[in-house]
Amino acid sequence: MRSWRLAGALGLSAALLVLSACEYAGLFRPSVLGQVDPEMATLMNELPNLDEPNEAIIGRIYATGGASRAELGSDGIMRDRIRIPKDEYLWYPAVIIMPRGGTLELDITNEDHRLHAIFAASNGDRQIMSLPAATRGVIRVQLDQPGYYWFGCPVENHLGRGMLGLVLVKGEVPPEARLDRPPQPQAGNRRPPRAHH
Amino acid sequence: MRTTKLAFVAAAASLLAGCYPSERAPNWPVTQRQEPFKQLDAAMRHSAPPVADAVTFERIVRARSEPHNWLTYYGAYDGHRFSSLRQINTDNVARLRPAWTFQAVPIGIIPKHSEFTLEAAPIVVDGVMFLAGWDGYVWALDAATGEELWRYRHAIPLDTPLCCGNVNRGVAVARGKVFYSTPNGHLLALDARTGEPVWTKIWVDVRAGESSTMAPLIVKNMVIVGSSGAEYGVRGHIDAFDIDTGQRIWRRYGVPKPGEPGSETWGNEEAWQRGGGSAWITGSYDPALDLLYWNTSNPSPDFDGSPRPGDNLYTDSVLALDPNTGEIRWHYQFTPHDVWDYSGVNENILFEEGGRKLLAHFDKNGYLFVLDRQTGARVRIVRFYDRANWGRIDPATGAVSDRREPTREGIEICPGPAGAKEWPHATYSQQTGLLYTPVVDACATFRKFPMPFREGLSWHGGDFKVDRAQVHGGAVKAYRPDGTLVWEWRSRHPIVASLLSTAGGLVFVGTPDGIFIALDARSGRQVWQFRTGSGIHSNPVTYSVNGTQYIAVPTGAGGWMKGFSPELLGHERGGTLFAFSLADAASAGAQSSAGSPR
Ligand SMILES: [Cu+2]
Repeated sequence: MRSWRLAGALGLSAALLVLSACEYAGLFRPSVLGQVDPEMATLMNELPNLDEPNEAIIGRIYATGGASRAELGSDGIMRDRIRIPKDEYLWYPAVIIMPRGGTLELDITNEDHRLHAIFAASNGDRQIMSLPAATRGVIRVQLDQPGYYWFGCPVENHLGRGMLGLVLVKGEVPPEARLDRPPQPQAGNRRPPRAHH
Repeated sequence: MRTTKLAFVAAAASLLAGCYPSERAPNWPVTQRQEPFKQLDAAMRHSAPPVADAVTFERIVRARSEPHNWLTYYGAYDGHRFSSLRQINTDNVARLRPAWTFQAVPIGIIPKHSEFTLEAAPIVVDGVMFLAGWDGYVWALDAATGEELWRYRHAIPLDTPLCCGNVNRGVAVARGKVFYSTPNGHLLALDARTGEPVWTKIWVDVRAGESSTMAPLIVKNMVIVGSSGAEYGVRGHIDAFDIDTGQRIWRRYGVPKPGEPGSETWGNEEAWQRGGGSAWITGSYDPALDLLYWNTSNPSPDFDGSPRPGDNLYTDSVLALDPNTGEIRWHYQFTPHDVWDYSGVNENILFEEGGRKLLAHFDKNGYLFVLDRQTGARVRIVRFYDRANWGRIDPATGAVSDRREPTREGIEICPGPAGAKEWPHATYSQQTGLLYTPVVDACATFRKFPMPFREGLSWHGGDFKVDRAQVHGGAVKAYRPDGTLVWEWRSRHPIVASLLSTAGGLVFVGTPDGIFIALDARSGRQVWQFRTGSGIHSNPVTYSVNGTQYIAVPTGAGGWMKGFSPELLGHERGGTLFAFSLADAASAGAQSSAGSPR
């Protein structure tokens, strides 16, 4: 009995240790829990059922694939890798986070048995790259301002079936473009941006 | 026991596995390469002749001497939107036919087509047309054939805080460059031969709710722009940048800081910080007086005046600015303490009367203001919208009485927040000496309610609704500058396209259901029409190439439809520029053949 308890405690602390070392721990932050309203919880519980052809695809679009932070290279270019797994019509990851505006290089592997392509917002013109079955390609886009931009697969209606991705550019408007006024009240738990000058 | 332990280890291991991607991408060789989308268009030349190299400030000052071109937003600095071209005239206008069209159909994620509108005034320089569209598009076209010469598209974040539609009113061209301000407030100088960026300057604060929609104006060595966003509690501004380097030369805020002149008209300590007064329509310029006339928009919040007691300078005003410094030489406020969104941004038409230098401005509030443009002195005020009941302006003193303000329960007030005339511009015909204005004849039910200000979120302090029964139609009205009404042409729907007058005795007008019409400038009689198939909410222009006169009109209504034409919200959309010429002239010349016999 005693050793069962010991094992339980050991197991639990091992689990907690593991949890604290990964993204799951972050889910228990009050700022995150605050966003998980009943509708969101319903959606997450329904996901296994939604994740089937001819079921509502909506649950997959941003909830599957996950987010990834692009890494800033010593050459100033931000880089990330995306997989297109077999039979899923999804980008892994589907949300790419750029620490700031600039050039993003995406190294994309199409592991699927069918043609996909990427069509992505970029300054100058949208960039397009085709990815026949079992191929890999590299695409660079220029995105220069905080905000989010989309990329998607233009083959047939793959965009609607789940191949819709986003690039989130973090950062602030440059000081010289900011309004000359004191920090203003913000919505929700957004923090006011630093005062300029 | 042992099995329980193992179970926990297994559980921990599986959790650990869940923390990291279980699969890595295979290490295949990279074989696929990207292309810009336009590279897939073998029909595009990707370059334009260097016509813009020789466009200088001096040439724009004398734009009237080269009527074959449309060198600046209004055609010339005087804001007339008049052309001395007369090949197309009242005698032959019945033979006006489309010569070519340019289709700018949106691709990608479009939440709602009505947000996307072609509103631009195309700029035409020696046979090349420079056009701006929605969502970051700029094109160079062959003005005689419509062939696409180059294309530039800036990537616009999906969360850019737009007030009223994804629109842009055009570019400016000078010294080999095309100047364009993106919806998210990047001022771009593009190489006019290739469309490649030469310099970029971020000049608006999207995080604060600012955006950009107007066509820049070239004055001397500067490119001048004004901000959008008075629906978001911003502090509007007009900025001047060096043409060659993009360095900012000055910024003038539409709302003064405490201690600055005009600050005494804000009866609340903090109101100036989010007072509105954006400046989203291109100004006019008088080179002889060296004065820039640039107007400001509504105060914030739109419908609830209680957070901002006072007149709220310099909102809803014309500012006469020293273009070298941005200093205000004089100002005139059209709607003091506005609570109806009667943004006074509309154009100023510069004209002379008995040797006196005047300025005419048809305001959203339903009154025509004629001012001395040297001093700002009031010359005359004429009501051009009979149904206006928001208040009464005394023509002698300019004072406003009998104000009818939004209420908590809702009250009908005329005109609605689109105004008696929306931003689309009036015209002054140098041939007839008449002013012509588009009219929106629609009222609205206005409500006000307190609304806390949150940076970056829209801040109306109320709302409005325009019922179908409150839309009474529209009109084109012709006035002598002394305020006498000469004729009125009525339309079923509000008129929300800029007017164009020509020395051919014509006034061109587009309707929001897509009919492009020519009126006899002297009588107001309709003499020609063409159904374009999509609403018109833009700036038609005229020009000529190799002796053929063209009338060009971008179509595709949308934008803020619910404000000015809610009865057409479900109307089919488009995005096509039509260029018209006379039937016999159009077939001549410049059309290159698509193939050849063998
Ligand atoms: Cu695909």
